[in-house]
Amino acid sequence: MNILTGLLNGAISGATPILLAALGGAFTFYAGVFNIAMEGMMLMAAFCAVWGSFTFGSWLAGVLLAILGALALALIFIVFAVWLDTDEFVTGIALNLFTLGATTYLLRQSFGVKGVFAGPGIDPIPRLHLPLLADVPLLGAVLSGQNLMVYAAALATLISAFLVFRTRFGLRLRAAGYNAASLDSSGVSSARMRVYSLLLCGVLCGLAGAFLSLGYVTLFSENMSAGRGWISLAAIILVNGNPWGVAIISLLFGFADVLGLLLQSYQVPSQFTAMTPYLATLAALYLYARRHRKERSYVNR
Amino acid sequence: MARVLNAALGVLIALALGALIMLAQGYDPLASYAALFQFSLGSPYALATTFKNAVPLVLTGLSAAIAFASGPVNLGQPGQLLMGALAATIAGLYLDLPPLVMIPTLALLAMAAGALWSGLAALLRQAFGMSEFIVTLMLNIVADYFTLWAITYPFKDAAAYSPMTPPIATSGWLPEFGDWNSAVFWMLAATALMWFLLARTRPGYEWRIGGQNSLFARLGGCPVDRNFILVMLLTGALAGLAGGLLIMGGPHRFLRGLGANYAWDGVMIAIVANNSLPGVLAYGLFFAAIQTGALGMELITAVPSEIVLVLQGALVLVIVASREALHQLADRLAARRQAQRRAKQAPFLESVEQP
Repeated sequence: MNILTGLLNGAISGATPILLAALGGAFTFYAGVFNIAMEGMMLMAAFCAVWGSFTFGSWLAGVLLAILGALALALIFIVFAVWLDTDEFVTGIALNLFTLGATTYLLRQSFGVKGVFAGPGIDPIPRLHLPLLADVPLLGAVLSGQNLMVYAAALATLISAFLVFRTRFGLRLRAAGYNAASLDSSGVSSARMRVYSLLLCGVLCGLAGAFLSLGYVTLFSENMSAGRGWISLAAIILVNGNPWGVAIISLLFGFADVLGLLLQSYQVPSQFTAMTPYLATLAALYLYARRHRKERSYVNR
Repeated sequence: MARVLNAALGVLIALALGALIMLAQGYDPLASYAALFQFSLGSPYALATTFKNAVPLVLTGLSAAIAFASGPVNLGQPGQLLMGALAATIAGLYLDLPPLVMIPTLALLAMAAGALWSGLAALLRQAFGMSEFIVTLMLNIVADYFTLWAITYPFKDAAAYSPMTPPIATSGWLPEFGDWNSAVFWMLAATALMWFLLARTRPGYEWRIGGQNSLFARLGGCPVDRNFILVMLLTGALAGLAGGLLIMGGPHRFLRGLGANYAWDGVMIAIVANNSLPGVLAYGLFFAAIQTGALGMELITAVPSEIVLVLQGALVLVIVASREALHQLADRLAARRQAQRRAKQAPFLESVEQP
């Protein structure tokens, strides 16, 4: 029983950063922005979170700064890709590279260390103990006592699904991606919708990055997003941006993460177990491609 | 002409941004830049070092530029470089042939390993329709862990404390001529050859057309699928060669974190060069110069060498954006000129139509 709850808890905390970033990417996906800057936004947020938490001694300041850091990148993306009409793919790659350089530089500049910054001065995001749920026999150990950001991610899934499917904003957002010209001709600026989607993506990636460096672990290391932004992009593509689908896929990736840790106890070298989330992404892409190929051949017939 | 102007503008703006950052943190930007270029271009030895450091940048840049210009989104240069480096290292540990045979053998093996890694992505794309964009990215991380495992367990130097292989046989070391490492000649030859292939031969023409308009290429009778695989294999081989030359010309062994420094530089260089191969050579040398000079700068003015990474990122953003902005400006000017011409002709046309 303990092993099972341990597995579930591990999967949930592995899934949280991917889920938050993928929800952000889902907004831009619906708005028709080819946004691959989640990786960079997460990394910048992870750094800002540690910096804020260390400097002001409060995790709340860390989270706020993380959101601001990711929003700053979102603004750069908006200036280049929406306003100046630069290629979105190139802008995203350039932003990711810029962030990798900037965080490495800032790490050295602010803390005088290379590689990793950890220390007792960093205030982590607290865990939340839910009074009633904790007493539920089986689920209590999983549902209660998670990191605050885990509940935030669950809430964000609900809100995202509501925003996208049940509000006028969501309708316009999807219209901007589906047919920008007809949205423009009905008097709503599709460029503005893209801007909103990128800002939302910034906020959510900010939370994802804050969880990475103040919840999942309490430290900042160079390139600590480690491809999670790309995995979240894959998750979005797999379910066409649907927030519920994104949540399920993120949990599956979380399980792949835990599976890796589990394999390590069977003498599999850690270098191989660390590959599991990425191999799982490849497997998921394979299944997706196969399903689509079937659909396509069905249509052709 | 516009391209040179754009490049000069981008470099200047990026350097100015870097200077602002340095000023804000209380460093002397002029002295820092002077030190930067003194240590990268200021002496024959520094220049030779810059050229040597440019080898992996230019080769991965060629790989990315050829792929992007021909269609396939091969973002797998980091992984292909690592696999190439690993292949050259393993072969160098077990083979010992005369240098004239040894060096080409290791280079070919490195290219084969890189091509194998990119070919895997091409295969997944062709057989199952999996987008090579995400597949190559995931394979990068897999290659990263795989090579780390290889140098931690099976091929580890028993005498070393951190993961690394023993040095390869000296017959596989690239010869040096004075300060100049012969890896530089490989780089220049590869650039010339690739430029010829892309600009002057029929396959190169087919690839470029396929990159600009895949449907047009298909209708025109180009074997689009075969070209896709060929380009993936070729670009993988180039990145693999970069890894092989890195081992043979540099530390002569596979050290942990070998590829990390060059991971994304190739993609970055291809993007700022707008996929032009001479541009890749020029920007590769420029990036190598600022990377090489950075450590010297740190010695003289205490500016952390990591600022170069910020400079590179800023450079990419500025150059790409100014390219678009210049295009838009040119379009707008042309449109205005045309409107003026129309306005001048309009009264005349009306007077013709009136009676």
